[in-house]
Amino acid sequence: MGMFNSNVLDIVIGLIFVYLTLAILCTAANEWVAAVTKRRGKTLERGVRQLLADQVVPNADRGDQQFAEEFYRHPLITKLLDRGNHPAYLSPRTFAAAVTDIVTNTGPAPPAPSVTSGLTPDKIETPLPNFAGLPEGQVKRSVLALIQHLKERNDPAVVQQALEAWFNDSMDRVSGWYKRRTQLWTIIIAAALTILVNADTVHIVRQLRNDPVLRSAVIEEAKVRSQKPRPTVTVEYKDENDPTSPTVTRNEGDALSQKELDVLGQMIGWHSPFRDNLRGETFLGWLLTVLAISMGAPFWFDLLNKIMRVRFAGKSPDETAKPPEKPDAEPRV
Amino acid sequence: MKTKRFQFLLLSITLVFAPITCRAEITVSLKKVFVQQFKDKATISTKFRIDQHHNSANPIGSGSKDGDIHIAGRDSVVKLPMVSEIINGKKENSALKFLLTTTSGQSVNLTGVWRLWFEHPGSADQIQGTTVPPADDTNPDHIFEFHPVVQFGTFNLLDSFAPIKNGSKEFRGYPAETAFPAYEKRPAVITVSNSAIMISSTKAAYNYAEFEMRLAGKPKDVGDGFIVFANVYSIGSGDDDDPLFEATRRMVFVKGSAPAEAVEKLKKGDRLQVLGIPRVNLNEVFAIASGLHGDEVFDETLPYEMIIVAILK
Repeated sequence: MGMFNSNVLDIVIGLIFVYLTLAILCTAANEWVAAVTKRRGKTLERGVRQLLADQVVPNADRGDQQFAEEFYRHPLITKLLDRGNHPAYLSPRTFAAAVTDIVTNTGPAPPAPSVTSGLTPDKIETPLPNFAGLPEGQVKRSVLALIQHLKERNDPAVVQQALEAWFNDSMDRVSGWYKRRTQLWTIIIAAALTILVNADTVHIVRQLRNDPVLRSAVIEEAKVRSQKPRPTVTVEYKDENDPTSPTVTRNEGDALSQKELDVLGQMIGWHSPFRDNLRGETFLGWLLTVLAISMGAPFWFDLLNKIMRVRFAGKSPDETAKPPEKPDAEPRV
Repeated sequence: MKTKRFQFLLLSITLVFAPITCRAEITVSLKKVFVQQFKDKATISTKFRIDQHHNSANPIGSGSKDGDIHIAGRDSVVKLPMVSEIINGKKENSALKFLLTTTSGQSVNLTGVWRLWFEHPGSADQIQGTTVPPADDTNPDHIFEFHPVVQFGTFNLLDSFAPIKNGSKEFRGYPAETAFPAYEKRPAVITVSNSAIMISSTKAAYNYAEFEMRLAGKPKDVGDGFIVFANVYSIGSGDDDDPLFEATRRMVFVKGSAPAEAVEKLKKGDRLQVLGIPRVNLNEVFAIASGLHGDEVFDETLPYEMIIVAILK
């Protein structure tokens, strides 16, 4: 019998199914941890504080204050705080408005417009924040450099644009931090989940190879899972006369069914004392599982769909997986 | 027996992990503010700095013999590697004569239909806003282009929005039944950061397509053009024929062009036989990006729409 037959394909499908279900559990756990630890808001706050660090701003009532503290005391920002917790999102416009207001109202007065400054009456309707008048610090240096880059330094709209650009550039770095932290948490949770449920890839492959009944049951569940919608966002244009107003819906179809959990439970778990499992190949099996889970559910969902199409190519959609074969004569490991 | 078991195990695990390393896509990173500003616009106006240009229009025939004049350069708004393409180059002698008087590095006011498409993506990712080096030839690696150009310097090129002909020779686009199935299957991975949207895809084919569009709604005036939903049919389809696919697609018309003047008067159900080129539908991309949470990935097909460059019938 050739090595590349439907048994191998079934084992591959079984393994992908296990990885998909574990990745779904891992994603759910990661989202829960992110919500409990308020990861997004805290990362954003760290980014904003770093952006505004090393800068004092004069305050008529309280003397020199750290810019970041003034920022978090500003009404535009405090109204976004949920019982003191940092919001998960801060718009560049709000950031720019708060910073401008702090510099305009608590900082030094702007210089009077002159002919040489290029200010015209229509341009001074909005007060021009005087960043140049701030004490030396990071905010002053960064914002003045950006305004200089934009050339038209005396236009409040340009100041707003510079502040938004400054914030956006910094938020790219914050997104990078958040992604790295999420990836780290994904690996930590994947490792914890793998060891907790003893999801050993080597052992799972052996079980799938030696147990045709289990293999058949896994294929059935994999078929059901592959027919479910992919977890993604969909865009619809509901008004045929308005091609510019789409509606976005999120398809969360991630929940695992009891049947899927039952099948998964037959391939993983601690069926013998912990010490008896500690072999070199167990660690290899765990490592492969952790690596696989960290690839994420969408990846395994797509792969499952592609392989299911290969597996059932030419068969009618209603045809069920082939009946269990006679078990191998080889003893189970 | 042990060897066979080991082979079995190795094969199964290899098959599962092999696809992880098998993705070769190019990514273009666009600023969200840029996407938001132009997602429902037909054109962009900019200062275009010329690096390299054709000295004559492409010949007219099939495939790449599309009669275009290629100009490679850089600009002040989009800030991506790019080319500008004047279609129906043989008709635009005055613009060509002006182009031939320009020198490398000269800036020209240009308005053109923006087009993001992975036709010549090259092998390196492209990030909007980073320094773009001068182009070495008239067709550098690019995902963005102005195609067709609407205004070049003082030359209005709206009359180039017509069937591409030179005497008895006529350029023909790919038949709808060839081009659209390929457009419908273009892969796309979309991710989002706080300020940017990243679109990854692979090299695309079938640049021009000829098809019949049947309006699914009223054309919407978007300032510099019209956008309308339409179903796509093969040229020569009858009343009872089905469209090539069920969904409608956005069709983009440039105001002042002959196709725009025609579509403006049409209503739902009316038909036009047209020549069009595909571009990424940034309206849909922006909507997808707004629906993604954190580091989620959208891994489906590439949203696209058609720029209508000529009415065939």
